[in-house]
Amino acid sequence: MAWKRDDPPTPSHPEPTATTPPRPVATSAPAPSPVSNEPPRRTDRATIGPSIFIKGDLSGEEDLVIEGRVEGRVDLKQNNVTVGKNGKVSADIFGRVVTIEGEVDGNVFAREQAILRQSGAIRGNITAPRVILEDGSRFKGSIDMEPPKETGKPAAAVRTIEPQRETLQPEQPRETVRTEAAGVKATA
Amino acid sequence: MSWFSSTRSVGLRKEQIPVPAPPEPDVHRSLALAALFQEIRGRRVTVLDLGSAVGSNVEFFSQYGCKLFIEDLYAALSSRTPSGEGDLAGPEFFSEFLSVPEDTRFDVILAWDRFNYLRRKELAYFGEQLRRYTHPGALAFALMSYHKQIPAQPYRFKVKDERSLIYDRRTAAERPSPRYVPAEVTGLLKGFRVDRSFLLQHGIQEYLLVRE
Repeated sequence: MAWKRDDPPTPSHPEPTATTPPRPVATSAPAPSPVSNEPPRRTDRATIGPSIFIKGDLSGEEDLVIEGRVEGRVDLKQNNVTVGKNGKVSADIFGRVVTIEGEVDGNVFAREQAILRQSGAIRGNITAPRVILEDGSRFKGSIDMEPPKETGKPAAAVRTIEPQRETLQPEQPRETVRTEAAGVKATA
Repeated sequence: MSWFSSTRSVGLRKEQIPVPAPPEPDVHRSLALAALFQEIRGRRVTVLDLGSAVGSNVEFFSQYGCKLFIEDLYAALSSRTPSGEGDLAGPEFFSEFLSVPEDTRFDVILAWDRFNYLRRKELAYFGEQLRRYTHPGALAFALMSYHKQIPAQPYRFKVKDERSLIYDRRTAAERPSPRYVPAEVTGLLKGFRVDRSFLLQHGIQEYLLVRE
């Protein structure tokens, strides 16, 4: 008789990074169920809420979900970036796995994979070793599927992208602070 | 941002009256496609896809490690002429439509059935743009209908494998076909010649054109 093996629960988060130090500050990711006996799972994921508008460069060392508006540049080469259904991004996005469910007007550089969901739209170029376009998604631009070079940079990233100045919109200071506390920061 | 809203507009290039649901997708052998893949195997190529973005095609082409440009010609035409009876799309339209970097040169053009949705002058104008962004030896894959009527909206083509295509009809409505014949095709697409041509049983003539 075989005994029932208790497999550890599969993390809902795609790929937690072991190198990222734990942070005591809660992110805006979905909260664990209050009746759960398990200790709260560290998500290492920051969320830019629907009411947030960020103009400038975003960088950091943890995953990011964008549900608001971002103009500028999103640079999280080691982490996953998701533009949620409400997200509207006018920026080049650098990430490991980049998932688009909202709208992006800019280029997407993914080190591992770029995913354009059915609800998503991209006007720009995608550079990634693997690209998934779901039927019904909207795309205008080019897809460069050359494997990444040894430098870890996507092949098409030779395009020079000038750093841009940033302006945090003053009308949402509280949300911005929460985003920074979660490990993703906007830099001048 | 509303830059995609136009691609969802329907326009009168699509039938206005209610029509029955389109039939299930068909699978057809494609001799020209097989020839095309034979030509590009082992090369890193730059591809222009004039159809709509289809995930399975992107996945298929990913095995070639190519650079794929997707420019939905029909969507652009539809958004330009919502009444369906507007002026011809001129050189300016096609120049704006194909706004790729100036040094881009396509090795492969996947025209699918989109040429059927261009009037003769439009096809000539578009051919000039295609010639501009191709080197000699570039290949174009096109499907021309011999039927009197074509679907009111183009098919969504999915590459099943190197020898077969899935024809996904999106509407049962129809419109008149231009019924291009081979001599017309090469006459309008100046700078291209027919490398291979196959008339298939379901009334579609496949072309593999080569840039001279």
